[in-house]
Amino acid sequence: MIARRSLLAAGAALLAAPAFSQAQSRVLRFVPQADLGGLDPIAISSNVIRNHGYMVYDTLYGVDHQFRPHPQMAAGHLEEEDGRSVTITLREGLKFHDGERVRAEDCVVSLRRWMRRSPMGQVLAARTEELAALDDRRFRFRLKSRFPLLIDALAVPSNPQPFIMPARIAATDPFQQIRDPTGSGPFRFVTSEFRQGARAVWERNADYVPTQAGGSGLTAGPKVVHFDRVEWSIIPDAGTAAAALTAGEVDWFEQMPAEIQQLLGRNRTLLLEPIDPLPLPGQFRFNHRQPPFDNPAIRRAFLHAISQEDFMTAIVGPDPAKYVTGVGFFTPGSPYASDEALAPLQGPRSIERAKQALREAGYRGETIRLLGTTDIVSTTAQAQVAADLLRRLEVNADIVLTDWGTVAQRRMNRGPLEQGGWSCACFATSGMDFINPITHLQLRSDGESAAPGWPDLPAVERLRAEWLEAPDLAAQQAIARRIQAAAMEGLPYIPTGAYYSITAHRRTLVDRVKGFAIFWGIRRA
Amino acid sequence: MFAYVVRRVLATIPVMAIVALFVFSLLYLAPGDPAAVIAGDQATPQDVERIRASLGLDRPYLVRFGSWVWDILHGDMGVSIFTNLPVTTMIQQRIEPTLSLMILTLILAVSIAVPMGVLAAWKQGTIIDRAVMAFAVLGFSVPVFVVGYLLAYVFALELDWLPVQGYTAFSNGFFPWLENLILPAIALGGVYIALIARITRATMLEVLGQDYIRTARAKGAGQGSILFLHALKNAAVPIVTVIGIGIALLIGGAVVTESVFAIPGLGRLTVDAILRRDYPVIQGVVLLFSFVYVLVNLLIDLVYTLFDPRIRY
Repeated sequence: MIARRSLLAAGAALLAAPAFSQAQSRVLRFVPQADLGGLDPIAISSNVIRNHGYMVYDTLYGVDHQFRPHPQMAAGHLEEEDGRSVTITLREGLKFHDGERVRAEDCVVSLRRWMRRSPMGQVLAARTEELAALDDRRFRFRLKSRFPLLIDALAVPSNPQPFIMPARIAATDPFQQIRDPTGSGPFRFVTSEFRQGARAVWERNADYVPTQAGGSGLTAGPKVVHFDRVEWSIIPDAGTAAAALTAGEVDWFEQMPAEIQQLLGRNRTLLLEPIDPLPLPGQFRFNHRQPPFDNPAIRRAFLHAISQEDFMTAIVGPDPAKYVTGVGFFTPGSPYASDEALAPLQGPRSIERAKQALREAGYRGETIRLLGTTDIVSTTAQAQVAADLLRRLEVNADIVLTDWGTVAQRRMNRGPLEQGGWSCACFATSGMDFINPITHLQLRSDGESAAPGWPDLPAVERLRAEWLEAPDLAAQQAIARRIQAAAMEGLPYIPTGAYYSITAHRRTLVDRVKGFAIFWGIRRA
Repeated sequence: MFAYVVRRVLATIPVMAIVALFVFSLLYLAPGDPAAVIAGDQATPQDVERIRASLGLDRPYLVRFGSWVWDILHGDMGVSIFTNLPVTTMIQQRIEPTLSLMILTLILAVSIAVPMGVLAAWKQGTIIDRAVMAFAVLGFSVPVFVVGYLLAYVFALELDWLPVQGYTAFSNGFFPWLENLILPAIALGGVYIALIARITRATMLEVLGQDYIRTARAKGAGQGSILFLHALKNAAVPIVTVIGIGIALLIGGAVVTESVFAIPGLGRLTVDAILRRDYPVIQGVVLLFSFVYVLVNLLIDLVYTLFDPRIRY
């Protein structure tokens, strides 16, 4: 059958084929996992806004796939006074999208803003005596004591990233959103074409000069752009986005649920693969402030029953290539991941042993309120497994499943259950957030300042502080193993495994940089 | 008539005030916190508190309500918590797709449903009548999103006649505009067609049994003239009423249809805003929908006078 659109296309092709196809080949049409809900990667913590951030802004340093830092905007750095003074020099010729030169003062103001929001930045701020521009191309950190992780901090890929903005924009309060998306990155944001919830467009920054420094992969190395435009279509329904990809209306669909993966997997023109070599870790998190999980023995009783396989297959289906078990507190595949102290999570699972452990720990039938979402695939599936687990353990379970907006608020409630509090909840986080003990906020265990659940585990905190002082990777890895052992004892949460986020794009797209939705490197074959 | 219109327009002011109070109070009482959503799942409680303060969400209810009403009275619907864009700008960006979808659905539905209902009444008890009624039951029973997916599968994926998703502005040409909207309009129109067809049939059956129809037949009037000039005009008031009431149905259905076909309209804006707890946007859109609904009801009341000269205001 000859389709009407095929006829129209054929007619149009006769008239303008070369120009049209050339223009189309220079446009990359992409469906993000969610709407671009803002333009400020510092003020709003969101992976979609991070992706926008890496297009529009540049960082002083980037990381390769082994998370080693390499210069990006920086030409290099000089350590003096036994590491207490670090001077960073900018590359020549860096320009913002408005044509202004990138100056050291822009970096200083941008880093100050970032340091107020980033976990890694806050650690750096606490160790910084002074941060000041020396001239247009050089600025200096004067530190209270040597900080071996300074350059790693400036390259950190976890949210929020230390993006460099013009000083006039970066002077905005970090809890207020900026309005002007002027950066110096490889793309310019086309504000006039932005339709929130529908469409966002970036154009190649013709003035961008990729770094010549070494390192490649993830955010390090030269950022070479092969498309004139990148167009994001916001398609909230995964089925519709899959149909648009099949029909050739878009080139790349960032992330989809398991059932859509099966559907698209049958299409030979498409390539489905993990978007990131790092999987996303899941968590079964406890509220340490309220009974019964204020009792560590009750938390540990759950270790007998938690099956990481159950949690992960609920998210991605039974294909073992799509998930990882035997997962601890650091993202599998990252430098600090290990199997230290994970024995309680391995071997045969036993509901009976868990029940017995609960009795021995003194569980007296207190209500256990599970908080779960209904609108995010990863957390919804995990909450359903957790709800089933609570029923099988025959505890006094109160299952509260609602939308993420409500869960996000309710998990902040530190009060008892009668006042709307909670006992346990399931979450899943970007693998990059769990790559080291500082960016990993769910591991932070200093009570009131910790993430909801408010674990108070001094042993974990002491080791996190110790990790910052470790002189080299081997020492850091040794401390990370001890952190994991301490966390398995105190259990801020129980790791529920990790799963790969699958992306789908046309096979004609090649050289995609693995990690997240990165728009340099990728090109049409 | 003019005085009536002025009175009705003025009457919308207290209605809108009540809607405003209701929407604001409901959102205030509803669970959820935009600050927690903005902060993300890695945030500390202190971060969330600071964001809440920066958004002014820590102020008392009455202060927030007073400030919002004051801004509305000055034509300012506020700024989106997430995008930092003025709510009026966001509504302006989204209103065309929704209006287009609703108008096309309305035209499609009325032009299909009214003749169907008339035909069913004329051929009462025949297979045509039963087919129309069966279609009406189907239209009521099958959810909009199921019809949407089926249409997209057949006409976009299999036949490749129409695009799967998206919206092209009317300014880019009538046919591209229509190409994107025809499937969503058919999907959304299903329930509406069923509703109007059923009410048209029922009202026509009642009117066709009246003495003046018998008189018209006795005078030798043709079937078309009897059905469309004598009967339909007199059956029009209830049909117009249902069309008006159905606007609310369309607004509700547009939310689903816009999601299925990725149309960047007000329906999707509302859903996104609700999920994120973007209060200024929710308040702005609900106020707009309420105003439109009040306005449609006023228009319906005025249209009555065209069909029934006995109605005077």
